[in-house]
Amino acid sequence: MELRVTESSETELSIEIAGEDHTFMNVLKGTLLEHDDVSAATYDVNPEQSGGQTEPILTVKTESGVDPLDALEEAAVDVREKAVAFREAFEAAA
Amino acid sequence: MMVPVRCFTCGTVVGEHWEEFDERANEGDEDPQEVLDELGVDRYCCRRMLVSHTDLVDVVSPYQ
Amino acid sequence: MSAEYDVEFVEREDRDARFLVQGITPAFANGIRRAMLADVPTMAIDTVRFVENSSVMFDEQLALRLGLVPLTTPPVGEFVEDDTVTLSIDVEGPATAYSGDLVSSDDLVQPADENVPIIDLKDGQRLEAEADAVLDRGKDHAKHQGGVAVGYRHLQRVAAVEDLPEFEEPDRRIVRGVIEEDGELVPTSEFDHDLSNRYPGQEVTLEDVPNSFVFHVETDGSFSVEELVTRAADTIESRATELENAVQL
Repeated sequence: MELRVTESSETELSIEIAGEDHTFMNVLKGTLLEHDDVSAATYDVNPEQSGGQTEPILTVKTESGVDPLDALEEAAVDVREKAVAFREAFEAAA
Repeated sequence: MMVPVRCFTCGTVVGEHWEEFDERANEGDEDPQEVLDELGVDRYCCRRMLVSHTDLVDVVSPYQ
Repeated sequence: MSAEYDVEFVEREDRDARFLVQGITPAFANGIRRAMLADVPTMAIDTVRFVENSSVMFDEQLALRLGLVPLTTPPVGEFVEDDTVTLSIDVEGPATAYSGDLVSSDDLVQPADENVPIIDLKDGQRLEAEADAVLDRGKDHAKHQGGVAVGYRHLQRVAAVEDLPEFEEPDRRIVRGVIEEDGELVPTSEFDHDLSNRYPGQEVTLEDVPNSFVFHVETDGSFSVEELVTRAADTIESRATELENAVQL
């Protein structure tokens, strides 16, 4: 997973997350949107055959005073916790 | 020629059931629908794999 | 914020299961589904060396057929992505070569199905080959796809509202999946997917239960349903951990 910041300001961040697809990006975006300090989050991927930019670019916008990178880190932690919680719930039922 | 190993659409292994299906529904006189149900081939994508297949090995082998 | 999930099995066999997950967001449900299809590594034959092939099919065609045969996938940690397992096959006609004729060098990696016909051999024809199986993901080739026809539907809540007028012809009300009836889970196959069979002469309402999804998971035999689901969750977890570490730097 290679990260490359394409645009960055106080409350907005665009970051390329190389090697990922909708499987992870959509989960991440959904988790970012659950965050109180995130005002907008989206990602964009182009098909492999299209040429040019084909790696997903995640854009996060936060409420003032919150670093979008921190929000991203917290979202990554949340995704991890979700995956662990899901696996534990599944194993408990299995 | 030979029965496909997997269903083209969903990837279920259908080759596993070919010989029994052939014996009961093609050679025998059982209803293909019932045979497929019993074999657990539920989806229509997998069912068409078996229903529409013809073995051609015997046809082409003389020309080898 | 940590999510609380509740999982309940509705139908369960080794290779085929239906289970309800409550408290899951649509995004995460889809992530799990996609991970099951494309991101869980399985073993499959990738390279074949033919010693003799006098059958009616070309080497390439046979290699594809061998590749599609599901192989049992060893437990996590036994293999890494570049390890190979060699399998050999040697059948002389007149006979049919089956997937079960593959002899593996490793007990953990065996053909999951033994009756898949590979090639019909006539008198004097022979197939002798050596094949290398590797661990890879469904994203790279469909033969590495462990989950087949994995999907989910909303759990549906059914309630009877009122009786239909006595002489009205009842309409069929088709619904597929699993319904919830006063807290009980009922697969729709029990009443032939038709609600007018279960509630004759009654008007019913049907609504999706938010954040409750019924997953239907089948595997190709590489591993059990439980293995597939837990490994799919693991792939998402490992990527989240990777992102967390990458962001911290």
